[in-house]
Amino acid sequence: MTIPAVVVMLTGCGVAAEEGRGGGEERSTLTVLAASSLTDAFGELEKTFEEQHPDADVRQSFESSSTLLAQIQQGAPADVFASAAEDEMDAAVDDGLVAGEPEVFVKNREVVMVPKDNPANIQRMQDLAEPGVRLVLAEDGVPAADYALQILGKANSEYGSGFKKEVLSNVVSRESDVRASVGRVALGDADATFGYASDFTPDVRDRVCVIQVPEDLNVVATYPIAALEDAQDPELAREWVHLVLSEEGQRVLDEWGFEPAA
Amino acid sequence: MKGREKGETLLGRRRGGDRVASGLAVAALSLLAGFISLPMIALVLWTANENAWRAMATPEARDALMLSIKTTSVSMVIIVLVGTPAAYVLARAEFPGKRAVDSLIDIPAVLPPSAAGIALLLTFGRFGMVGQYLDVFGVAVSFTTSAVVIAEVFVASHFYVRQAAVGFAQVRRDVEEAAMVDGASQYSVFGRVTVPLTLPALVAGAVMAWARALGEFGGTIIFAGSFRGVTQTIPLAIFSARESNFDAAVALSVMVLAFAFTVILVARLLLRKAAQFRDD
Repeated sequence: MTIPAVVVMLTGCGVAAEEGRGGGEERSTLTVLAASSLTDAFGELEKTFEEQHPDADVRQSFESSSTLLAQIQQGAPADVFASAAEDEMDAAVDDGLVAGEPEVFVKNREVVMVPKDNPANIQRMQDLAEPGVRLVLAEDGVPAADYALQILGKANSEYGSGFKKEVLSNVVSRESDVRASVGRVALGDADATFGYASDFTPDVRDRVCVIQVPEDLNVVATYPIAALEDAQDPELAREWVHLVLSEEGQRVLDEWGFEPAA
Repeated sequence: MKGREKGETLLGRRRGGDRVASGLAVAALSLLAGFISLPMIALVLWTANENAWRAMATPEARDALMLSIKTTSVSMVIIVLVGTPAAYVLARAEFPGKRAVDSLIDIPAVLPPSAAGIALLLTFGRFGMVGQYLDVFGVAVSFTTSAVVIAEVFVASHFYVRQAAVGFAQVRRDVEEAAMVDGASQYSVFGRVTVPLTLPALVAGAVMAWARALGEFGGTIIFAGSFRGVTQTIPLAIFSARESNFDAAVALSVMVLAFAFTVILVARLLLRKAAQFRDD
């Protein structure tokens, strides 16, 4: 907390902030905490934002929404929270940590991902119940895993009541966030995982294949965003939210595989 | 006791400047001791909270503790069985490339554990250098308890081998030679003379290696994955519980602290007993 203050003091001297918005702000830091699935899209928006606000320095931390929520609850300095599920945002709202109303900015769908050479020969979601499939999921409480469990629960009605249990008996590891579990598959060490459609990024595209979850069984993931009550620069925080909801922001998110929702 | 009395009289004879220097040194020690004990106190104070006690009794905590006991025990058996003769050779034999091997043993101690995890994954993972051949025979190492043991042995063996080698180097050759002159075979000299004389060093090394294995985190989570009862040792369980159930994370930390403390205490006690036995 004191370090940014010192930086502001040092850089504040002699820097005429004419090109800023309105009053003479010094170069300030905007800290965005975002669900790990947003890594690439928000990374791109960071550049856009810094071009629009030359006096702002955006810093982002990408982890599971549940980890980020815990950090905010424990008082981590942050300006904006972008969650991959309503539950985590609701908890932040209930604790009085959010400024104003959260807004849903994108939707996402779950998919099954397998390595390109598909060692367990998974063709449909049903195949996840085959004995010996090495399935990884994100940790309990991570939205991507919660959505996956909801999908498996729904699938029980279609594939038989033991389906979810059989699939879960194939889980060999629980990863800290969704990107970590996709990484296991990209590396070829695991046979399958549940991830978001947007996790099929250029980074993993030549190592991973996507298998769609049947439409009627899928769960739509909704992503809310909000400026935080303890934001150091509430104005800047609101402008980040504004950028994400803007046409430009939605276009970038669409490019990274999200479904625009604003 | 004797040493301390001697030190005090020496101190008494010193001039003012020396007294200031030793005062500073004592202050530094107090500072360090305070710095290390504060977090321990914080951990223990938290257990006044009854949720923490309840969290210690959960199946998750029990599974993690049992798995940590199991994996570190197996790791220690491997490390001692392989490390003892290896350390003996390092201490006693001269051979080409000895320095290289000597430095190689030290690498895991200076390598960040997460880097060790990546290296192990590239070796024993399904597409790893060795793993791809194991996979042909249907042997999968990653995501198994064996992977946890591999990670522990990899990061911890150094601590035992290093201490043991130093211990062996300190055993005087003429003692061993005298036993051999008396007709003892090389094996029995090693077992009856060399090892007993080196015992304090061996135990100290084993305790260090065990502590390192118990704390193994980065290598395990990257290479072995995290699954309750299979690969989720106490450090991984703490990491996993830190957000969903903070009480459980604290409880596990206190548990591992108590466990480690007990083991070190028992090891010290055994060492003292062994020393008494030898002196008698």
